[in-house]
Amino acid sequence: MPALRTVRTVCPRNCYCTCGMLVTVDERDRIVAIEGDPENSATGGHVCLKGLSYARRQTYPDRLLTPLLRRGDGADFEPVSWDAALDEIAERLGRVREIHGPAAALYYEGSGSHGALGGLAMAFWRQFGGCTTTYGDLCWPAGLEATRLTYGANLHNHPRLTVESRFIILWGHNPAETNVHQWRLILDAQARGATLVVIDPRRTDSTDAADVHLRPRPGTDAALALGLARAIVDAHLHDTAFLAAHAHGFEAYRARLADYPIAKVAEITGVDEAAIRTLAISYGRTKPALLIAGFGLQRHTHAGQAMRAVALLPALTANVGVAGGGWQYANLASHCLQPLPLPPEPPAMRGIPVSQLAGHLESLEAPPVRAAWIERGNPAVQHPAAPRVRAALSALDFLVVVDQFLTPTAKLAHVVLPAKTLFEEEDLVTAYWHPYLQWRARLFDPPGEVKPESEIWRVMCERFGYDTRWFPSDRRAWLKGLLPAAQQDAIDELPSRPLDLSGHGDVAFEDRRFPTPSGRVEFECAEAAARWGVDAVPSYAPIDEGHTGAHKARFPLQFLSCKTRDRIHSQFGNLDWVQGVERPHVVDIHPSDAEPRGVGDGARVAVWNDRGRIELVARVTPGIRPGVVHVLEGWCHEGDPDVNALTAEGLTDMNHGATFYECLVEVTAV
Amino acid sequence: MSAGFVLDLHRCVGCGACVLACRIENGRETTAAWRRVLPLNLRRYDAGPTYFLSVACHHCDEPACLQGCPSGAYEKRPDGIVVHVEDRCLGCRYCEMTCPFGTPQFDAGRGVMSKCHLCAPRVDDGRAPACVATCPTGALQYAADVDNAQVRPFVPGFADPAGCRPNLRFRTPAGSTRAARFDALEERLRT
Repeated sequence: MPALRTVRTVCPRNCYCTCGMLVTVDERDRIVAIEGDPENSATGGHVCLKGLSYARRQTYPDRLLTPLLRRGDGADFEPVSWDAALDEIAERLGRVREIHGPAAALYYEGSGSHGALGGLAMAFWRQFGGCTTTYGDLCWPAGLEATRLTYGANLHNHPRLTVESRFIILWGHNPAETNVHQWRLILDAQARGATLVVIDPRRTDSTDAADVHLRPRPGTDAALALGLARAIVDAHLHDTAFLAAHAHGFEAYRARLADYPIAKVAEITGVDEAAIRTLAISYGRTKPALLIAGFGLQRHTHAGQAMRAVALLPALTANVGVAGGGWQYANLASHCLQPLPLPPEPPAMRGIPVSQLAGHLESLEAPPVRAAWIERGNPAVQHPAAPRVRAALSALDFLVVVDQFLTPTAKLAHVVLPAKTLFEEEDLVTAYWHPYLQWRARLFDPPGEVKPESEIWRVMCERFGYDTRWFPSDRRAWLKGLLPAAQQDAIDELPSRPLDLSGHGDVAFEDRRFPTPSGRVEFECAEAAARWGVDAVPSYAPIDEGHTGAHKARFPLQFLSCKTRDRIHSQFGNLDWVQGVERPHVVDIHPSDAEPRGVGDGARVAVWNDRGRIELVARVTPGIRPGVVHVLEGWCHEGDPDVNALTAEGLTDMNHGATFYECLVEVTAV
Repeated sequence: MSAGFVLDLHRCVGCGACVLACRIENGRETTAAWRRVLPLNLRRYDAGPTYFLSVACHHCDEPACLQGCPSGAYEKRPDGIVVHVEDRCLGCRYCEMTCPFGTPQFDAGRGVMSKCHLCAPRVDDGRAPACVATCPTGALQYAADVDNAQVRPFVPGFADPAGCRPNLRFRTPAGSTRAARFDALEERLRT
């Protein structure tokens, strides 16, 4: 038997699961096994296909192992030494700063790989004199803010308590594809007798396992939530004792429900009146009941208000603070690290909302953005209005991209720097579903000329003559310093097991203490009104590009671009192993929409609007709501549809999120 | 009695983790996978359920690969596992033609066939096959005697046209919408 070593580490992707992994390596540094870490009781000793694909990705032939330089527009990349790459960067970045000032440089970090060390980029940029950075988030911020405003914190029960639930509602959530470890727990709860309800305009692998499936029109979730609340209150199934003790503004909320008679809600949402009443009554009567919301229902303009409306249902029925019950959106219990030690922030720092990258790159003045540095992200395909992002990046004087592969974004760069994999640098990784902080181990030395980003920023500082004392000489000691002051000894334990350092316990809000201004669950929220200019009580407002939108006559179909199990956005699908099991990237269209357009199953169609046009194959299916079309997002390889040619650069009502799912299109046979 | 796989069609989401686990365990970086996932009814027509068949070798009671092999490169072990003995393989690809399930794969680089051995080394060691150990939802299971499982021997998409008596069984828990759809399908086939 060859000598094997097994190392505990963690998958750092932008994914619910953040799986603890046991990676076994042979004496020639080949990965011979990747298994789940049983110590992580949320992921239960399992990984998914994406985690397994690291065995292929680590040594994939396409991986970038040296810096690449493109001399002049249209020229091919050529491999160069670090010295040559750094010379080019120093010269061209320096020139941009000289002419336009430091804020003419954009530093963009995506969500491609989580870890505390990523923040070290600022040790360079602050000494550079500042830069332009992004704020907000493409994915989930409206729901985070809605939850914070309602409950005071983004916490939820430990995932393993899911099995104790007797009634589970998945709202805009498809864990059979996007959180397979949660799916196992849900199936276990179902096997123990729990009822499973899924609310989704599509049929998915999750809806197919459900006992009840409601299909509202996209963008009408606030109305559906208020309608359910109305039906619960009409049936006297709200918990008056809980509300008297723990609700703030319930009377104002109750008055608001008068605006949402069930018949009206049925008309807005397209969900049958009887189905709304039945769900309300079952949810109100069955305890404990767990409501899990996905990110999908908050990808439109009125997202925050919609999420507040949905998030209040567990409080209305006193399902908060109980095992097997609760509101699940995001669990930030592991987000306990201290800020990185960094040089002081210079005045020339400037922020732009990440969801409106194209618009700002096109129009920013004083100074305009003329150079950009992009790492851990792929905005050329993953941002709304992606073709405009590509045009704006192409028009820059200078672009540096750090990546493991030559992505569509990297192809636009003047300099591409080779990025590490998760196995090539130690780090601390937080999660957003389970409460665990986890240690990412270093299994291998970076191959070829690869440097971890933290090392890249150190050599950048050296090249520019900046102070490098911000960079760790001993990563473990440096990471220890980021742990909460009283818990720094945990650094010795973290390599062997995931740790919940939060002290919140497994049941969120078990003590019914809510860190809101009122100390109660905020049905009426003055902060929401003051901070975001929304109604203090949740309400429904139709989205501009929704089923009642002004553009509806020209673009009658609502376009959704959802996630699936074989990708995290534009990651993983470049690997042959993953392509062997990937889902087809077709446009799902209902027969009642396909027939009048002369679109047959398997036909090639154009999906288009005033922003763009993509061509792909139609899948005519009853598995989608009439009036809605769907294409899986995530551009990973040639032939994948450029879905973000269609999407708009809107902003959510709260917290600067993107509005990917507020998008009207037409479909035409080609 | 024979060893084989049991697949819970309610739990299987067709994720493909089993396919990748097999590749890692059995060292097949670039050639065709021993395990495959066949999606059924991805259009989600109301006529039946949408489900996924994760399939490898079925370690048949009457293995066509073995019966059709001119060089005796297949053996059926006492526990039922059908193994391919590479140093007896001519690469003639008869088994590729005789197996009705398309299980044996030709490795062009080495000029021999290969196929799933149910992770016999792991099974002999008391461990589950890699695909089973990896399955994140617990859908794929190993059974030392598949006939003892409370299961369906047949679902649409999986037939036994050549009388090989494959050792793959299916589970569809009663009560789910999906199970009702399976029941309706079976009823239609009976009438």
